[in-house]
Amino acid sequence: MITLNHYLALASILFCIGIYGVLTRRNAISVLMSIELMFNAANINFIAFSKFITPVFLTGQVFAVFVITIAAAEATVALAIVILIYRHHKEINVDKINFLKW
Amino acid sequence: MNYRLLFPELFLFLWIIFIFVLDFFWDKEKTNYLGWFSLLGLGITIALVFGSGTGRLFGGMFLADSFSFYFKLVFLSASFLAILSSIDFVKKIEKYRGEYFGLILLSTLGMMFLCSAGELITLYIALELTTIPLFVLSAYLKKDFRSAEAGIKYVILGAISSAILIYGISIIYGLTGMTDLGLIQFSLAQQHLRFGPFGPALIFGIIFFIAGFGFKLALVPFHMWAPDVYEGAPTPITAFLSVASKGAGLAAFIRIFFVSFNVYQPDWVMIVAVLASLGMIFGNIVALLQTNIKRMLAYSSIAQIGYIMIGVVAFSWRGISALSFYVFAYLFANMGAFISAITFSNVTGSDEIEDYAGLSRSSPGLALFMAVFLLSLVGIPPLAGFVAKYYIFASAIEKGHIGIVVIAILTSVVALYYYAGVIKKMYFHKSEKEVNFSIPFSLKLALFICLLGVLIAGLFPTPFIDLATKAAQVFKYW
Amino acid sequence: MLASSWLIPLLPLVAFAFIVFFTNKRPKLSSYLSVGAVCGSFVLSVPVLFEVLKNPITSEFKFTWIDLQGFTIQMGILIDPLTAVMLMVVTIVSMLVHIYSIGYMAGDPRFSRYFSFLSLFTFAMLGLVLANNFFEIFIFWELVGLTSYLLIGFWFEKKVAADAGKKAFITTRTGDLGFLVGIFLLVSAAGTFNFNQIFHQIEAGSISTGILTVSAILIFAGAVGKSAQFPLHVWLPDAMEGPTPVSALIHAATMVAAGVYLVARTMTLFAASSSAGLIVAIIGAFTAFLAASIGLVQNDIKRVLAYSTISQLGYMMLALGLVGLTAGTFHLMTHAFFKALLFLGAGSVIHAMHTNDIWKMGGLFPKMKITAITFIIASLSISGIFPFSGFWSKDEIFAVAAEYHPIFLLVAIIVAFMTAFYMFRLCFVTFFGKPRDKHKFDHAHESPKVMTIPLMILAFLSIFAGWLGIPWLAKGYSSFVFFHHPHHAEPKIWLMLISTIVALSGIGLAYLIYYKGSISAEKLKEKFSFPYKLLFNKYYFDELYQAIIINPIMGFANFLFKFDLGIIDWLVNAFGNFTLFISNVKEWFDTNIVDGAVNGIAWIFKKACTGLRQIQTGYLSNYILVIFFGILLIILFKIA
Repeated sequence: MITLNHYLALASILFCIGIYGVLTRRNAISVLMSIELMFNAANINFIAFSKFITPVFLTGQVFAVFVITIAAAEATVALAIVILIYRHHKEINVDKINFLKW
Repeated sequence: MNYRLLFPELFLFLWIIFIFVLDFFWDKEKTNYLGWFSLLGLGITIALVFGSGTGRLFGGMFLADSFSFYFKLVFLSASFLAILSSIDFVKKIEKYRGEYFGLILLSTLGMMFLCSAGELITLYIALELTTIPLFVLSAYLKKDFRSAEAGIKYVILGAISSAILIYGISIIYGLTGMTDLGLIQFSLAQQHLRFGPFGPALIFGIIFFIAGFGFKLALVPFHMWAPDVYEGAPTPITAFLSVASKGAGLAAFIRIFFVSFNVYQPDWVMIVAVLASLGMIFGNIVALLQTNIKRMLAYSSIAQIGYIMIGVVAFSWRGISALSFYVFAYLFANMGAFISAITFSNVTGSDEIEDYAGLSRSSPGLALFMAVFLLSLVGIPPLAGFVAKYYIFASAIEKGHIGIVVIAILTSVVALYYYAGVIKKMYFHKSEKEVNFSIPFSLKLALFICLLGVLIAGLFPTPFIDLATKAAQVFKYW
Repeated sequence: MLASSWLIPLLPLVAFAFIVFFTNKRPKLSSYLSVGAVCGSFVLSVPVLFEVLKNPITSEFKFTWIDLQGFTIQMGILIDPLTAVMLMVVTIVSMLVHIYSIGYMAGDPRFSRYFSFLSLFTFAMLGLVLANNFFEIFIFWELVGLTSYLLIGFWFEKKVAADAGKKAFITTRTGDLGFLVGIFLLVSAAGTFNFNQIFHQIEAGSISTGILTVSAILIFAGAVGKSAQFPLHVWLPDAMEGPTPVSALIHAATMVAAGVYLVARTMTLFAASSSAGLIVAIIGAFTAFLAASIGLVQNDIKRVLAYSTISQLGYMMLALGLVGLTAGTFHLMTHAFFKALLFLGAGSVIHAMHTNDIWKMGGLFPKMKITAITFIIASLSISGIFPFSGFWSKDEIFAVAAEYHPIFLLVAIIVAFMTAFYMFRLCFVTFFGKPRDKHKFDHAHESPKVMTIPLMILAFLSIFAGWLGIPWLAKGYSSFVFFHHPHHAEPKIWLMLISTIVALSGIGLAYLIYYKGSISAEKLKEKFSFPYKLLFNKYYFDELYQAIIINPIMGFANFLFKFDLGIIDWLVNAFGNFTLFISNVKEWFDTNIVDGAVNGIAWIFKKACTGLRQIQTGYLSNYILVIFFGILLIILFKIA
């Protein structure tokens, strides 16, 4: 039997993988993908809570749909800016972009 | 349902579409008028805000009360000033000038929804509506690699903080089963009564909220994006970011923490107090070493948010009133300082403090404006900053938070040093090169509006404080 | 009529703004604006005086300036007989000084600026006089200090002038600190800034005597600074480095009068705490004696006058400390006129001779009749000769002193003797005898009308202003300005006689030494060489302050500077080397352990060492790390 706790554990593991990816990856695209993982961890939470805590209402599921939409919008903008970066620097390693500092 | 409440937002939304369409059809020469069109739209929106009244819509998803009224005025004024100061600036941009204005308005629309949101889904969407246009705007100077760098840093950090926030929201939703702010408070209070204090889950949730909003507010240690983005982004956008975007985050922060997490106030006030103190110390000290005016103002705004959060730490209606007034005073002073910097860099092409030497001779008016805005940021009477600081300190002392006020006063002294450094440069140093200053009308107007704001709010603060107090009365839980 | 008296200070302010923004390039126009504004203030003050004369009650007009929901700051004006008198004194003297300045400052390259400062100064003083609460009076108090700094240091190319400006500012600030603390103390006890409300509470006895005494003494500290009382008197003699009309204004009607006015205004405070009052009286008496004795031997005409001002202010403080509001303010008024006259007269002499040293003057009487006559009138007045104004006001003070304790009377009489002596020493040396500097003498000439007419008006006032307070008068000054109830001292004929004899003998002695030469000044100098040196060097106050205050501070600053050089530089270098070392280590890390998180942490630690600023590395991954690290710390902080 898969309980709420299983879902929550999955979500938190996914969230931590996302954090790990965000911290270790240097490629901007990989960082964005890791961020998607973090969003999806939250989505799993929403769906699970919706199913187990408020089975009558669909609040959590609606929320998840919105989060997916927003994440998509965010990713679009981010990718556009990554392309912009690529045009300037001819690479997308985030650690090579540090003109602005101190 | 009283849809009148939604009129300002609806109108602004239609106006934005109108602007985008115009931009699409007009040729390049005419797009200059789009700025003035946007200002017209904002003016009408302000009038509509005044006429829209108060109430609840969609079962509490959208709240129009005196608090949202106050902050909407702040956002609309900030947006107005940002667009006004951009009209001359956009001539540097080759393509898509109309979109630039449209995006500022879109972000403003998000802020208006944000401070009216009574429920987490609305709040989250409004937050993203506020932020995503700003990502685009900060990378708007496509030829400038610094702008692109600002954009990538802002968007990645923004997305991460957004992910953290949404994870926090999911935890809170899981604990209560609710998304309505008021009902969350109710549910948390009930569970607290029945089962005793919550375990770590709630604390995680609250901390994730603080991190998510801390990013918007540039609270230490979630401030890292601020200096880089402020420096790289187009200056009008920097000004807008530093005032409106912060104000929006603050409004949402107050709604959530003073309503939903009201019961758990001891748990989070301490965190906020520590972060605010760190912000004041870090921001002011690092600002000392800056050579770029935008970067200096960025660090100073990190410090300023520390002062603003003192009002949150006070946790009283007077605290909210004080911080609302502070935001108002800060709006004009900070916008004014940035607009002076825009004016200066439009003429000289430089943002370096070094180049401000002798400004009092080449353009006495601009130097005086800049000096007044900086002095207001320090909190010198009779400018608005003084009353704001005094009021916010008083609200904290009233609740016995002496420590944070002492830190605030000490760091203010540090702040005086670097603000005065700029003034000294302008007035007591000679410049090597002669520059001819001709300031375009739009910037002059913007500077005058800011000056009036700083002076009026400093000399006759009572009506504004009354408004702020009325806004604070929305949260009378104690 | 009274309600519109807020216009009185406003006019000079408008003139100031106008000159600064519009007429800076047109000196003539600027001076007319400035003079016009102060004349306007004077014209507006006259009906106020009559209104108050008709109906001598206290009226107050106020509005709320800042309302912070529970704590309000009000601004307003307070008009009572004292205010009305002060308004007259300030506007008359500053009007005459303004007019006189047109002649005196003619041709100065910063003519417009001078008049704008003068207007600002007048504005500040009038605002101070009209203030109805401590907050407001403090603002104007500081404004007076600031403008005096600007005016004293007006010729800032001269180092002495710039130094004098700084000295005045810093010395008075020392007293202001006490004033500010005193205000806070009193206001926190009373819960309001408003004068009347505070005084009502004091009289109702709802403020403890301890707080009253301490705050009274602290407020008096402010007055000590502004009114140049011992031990903060050192700035005033130096303040003469400013243009002479400014000295006249500072010494007569504005700056130094502010301190006396403050004590008079807060009389209730000093009346309620007898020990504070006694301290005021003792400091006043001591200052009067000290300054008068220094004045005996000074050679600079303005310096003598400066010490005489200090000593006369001591008189006023003495009277006020013994709750003689009438006597103190009466003397303030008469003194304002004759001291302004003395300074303007001295200015006229300096204008003609281009020197301040009295031993280079002499025999000027025939050449500068008007100046000389008016100067002598003022000297007679300050010496207290019947029937000049000084006689009547000094007599009031004697009466107050005699009522309290004979020792005060004794000091007052000795001071009166010294005053008469040094004033006439000045007169005889300057205006009579043989010209000592032939070259300068030949160039001397009477000053233009614009300068002499104010002298004549002031001479008139120096004679007759005191007649308002003739004790036999049924409706004189004492029935107008008083504390609680009119204090009509019985005219004491014997006191008047004593004071006249003392003054005459002082004049006589000066006559013998400096006119007839029957007693040799040189011989006296040799005989009393030690006291002479002591007096000539002003009791070595400046040197003393240099040794015990300035030198230690500079020494400490020097020490800090050395510390900076030695220790801090060493630390910085150490950090630098350390960073270098760490960055070598980091390279090793980079090449050996390809692990981002560890990498990032190493980065953070390295950067944290080189100062907070270095946290902002510019690397996105570090920013992300800081965010998560922050969250982690907060979580640990909360859970633990």
